Amino acid sequence: MATQTIESKVSERVPLTPEEEKVLKEGSLTDYEIQAHPREYFRAMRHGDPIHYDEKLGSWLVTRHEDIWAVQSDPVTFSVHHGYHDFQARGLQDEFRAYLREHGGGYFPDAIMSDPPYHTRIRKLMENAFTAHRVKELEPRITEVVHDLIAEVIERGDGKCDAVKDIAIPLTIRVIVEQLGLDHGMEDKISRWSVAVTAQISAMQSRETMLENAKEIADLQNYLIGKMKEREQERKEDMISDLVHAEVTNEDGTKEKLTFEEAVSLVRATLIAGNDTTATAIGNLFYVITTKPGMAEMLEEAVQDERKLNRFVEEHLRNEPPVRALSRATTREVTVNGTTIPEGAHMLLVYGSGNDDETEYPEPRKFDPTRPNLGRHVAFGGGPHRCIGLALARMEIKVAAREIVKQMKNIKLAVPQEELRYVPTVATRTLESLPITYEKREG
Amino acid sequence: MGNLKVTMTDVNGETRTFEDVEEGVSLMELGKQNGVAGIMGDCGGGCACATCHVYVDQNWWDKVGEPDDIEFAMLDMVADVMKDTSRLGCQIKMSPELDGLTVTVAPSSSY
Repeated sequence: MATQTIESKVSERVPLTPEEEKVLKEGSLTDYEIQAHPREYFRAMRHGDPIHYDEKLGSWLVTRHEDIWAVQSDPVTFSVHHGYHDFQARGLQDEFRAYLREHGGGYFPDAIMSDPPYHTRIRKLMENAFTAHRVKELEPRITEVVHDLIAEVIERGDGKCDAVKDIAIPLTIRVIVEQLGLDHGMEDKISRWSVAVTAQISAMQSRETMLENAKEIADLQNYLIGKMKEREQERKEDMISDLVHAEVTNEDGTKEKLTFEEAVSLVRATLIAGNDTTATAIGNLFYVITTKPGMAEMLEEAVQDERKLNRFVEEHLRNEPPVRALSRATTREVTVNGTTIPEGAHMLLVYGSGNDDETEYPEPRKFDPTRPNLGRHVAFGGGPHRCIGLALARMEIKVAAREIVKQMKNIKLAVPQEELRYVPTVATRTLESLPITYEKREG
Repeated sequence: MGNLKVTMTDVNGETRTFEDVEEGVSLMELGKQNGVAGIMGDCGGGCACATCHVYVDQNWWDKVGEPDDIEFAMLDMVADVMKDTSRLGCQIKMSPELDGLTVTVAPSSSY
């Protein structure tokens, strides 16, 4: 098929510094050091080679904001179905699938990680659960959950905790567990399951870790299937019930029930997507207020004013996007920003770079909630696959920000910054742990 | 098929009039179904992404009304292209009172 060019201008290439030349030549997103500190690599690509082939990873990295926007707006040329499923558990796919068929009740492809027109129907089904107005109704309950969790942590005494493990992760799990209608008190398990599922797109798995992760996923699926069978018998007021009984509307207006396989995949996706990334955002919130001068004060001021707080949260997502990159695969040979990519190639839309693109966000490393174009950041992706839980994620971060300020003060990093470790993955930039000290703020 | 009329000017300046719009359909849905340039509706009508931003014709503003707080918060994220008559298309549902409504699709934030 002839090469077609998608609508994206050929951007000006900027001369690179010797350091940038070096990192562009030798760097790879598979290197832990680059995963942990990727900004120089991203900048070198944006300036010198904006659609860069990362040879070690075997992926084309799309790094400029404008190009990311163009690619995600064309879901047919740039397929999520192939980008996700063909590269899931890279290199170990057959074994991964076989394991789940044998031990996990089945291999359930992710129905939402699909292409139009199938995707459009599935997506439509999920949308009503997550509108900004619906999420606003949940605000009082989310506030209660977050308040109680932080209060429990403080109650334990000693003025120390791990902001990631003791607050961010259990917080988002408690919220999504309640929405779905799962059991409380399973935070540790759900956290492990989440890590196992997201590891399938990490591009960093060995065979041993794949098998360990597959075991966790099998465990997760068996648990979810049990819950879903219960709801099949007896419907309740929760999302599992909604999904078990859901019907999709076809283009001709006829209705069709979701298959059980589709429903399992959607419950699983909601559980995982609904906690891991938002937890990263809340962990990052602690990270910025403990490492960037003036940020704690800025946050304290922002929580007094709804509009300022909304803008603070949005700038936080731009500044530290939890999802670093998600995949697409080309369905034909195509030229993007002057670079021709072959058919069937794996690509990553590097949101972490797009949000740092100085042609869209001047002085990208400055935390500036007054930016007039905040809504254009790509932390939630964009186009028809834009994050469906975005309003819920914003709300959880906002409520967390308020409760942190309300209950804690003098929050400080308890270890040297250089000791912080990130989860080894290309897909997210997630702190493994963030030990902090704080004082209780007396109401 | 309905009988309500809506006139939309897309981001490229092309104006189209739809005369058979059903009651209850949002301007985002109408724009998306008809491929009106600049109406993307990424979040599916959830008032959560500002990709269906329109300027309401001044003469229709009183009838259409102001955005609520949730919608305003989204419009505020595209402040560089926000105007006094800005609304999100997904939040304007067609009704007999809005028969004849005229809107212009807002450009996306700048490059």
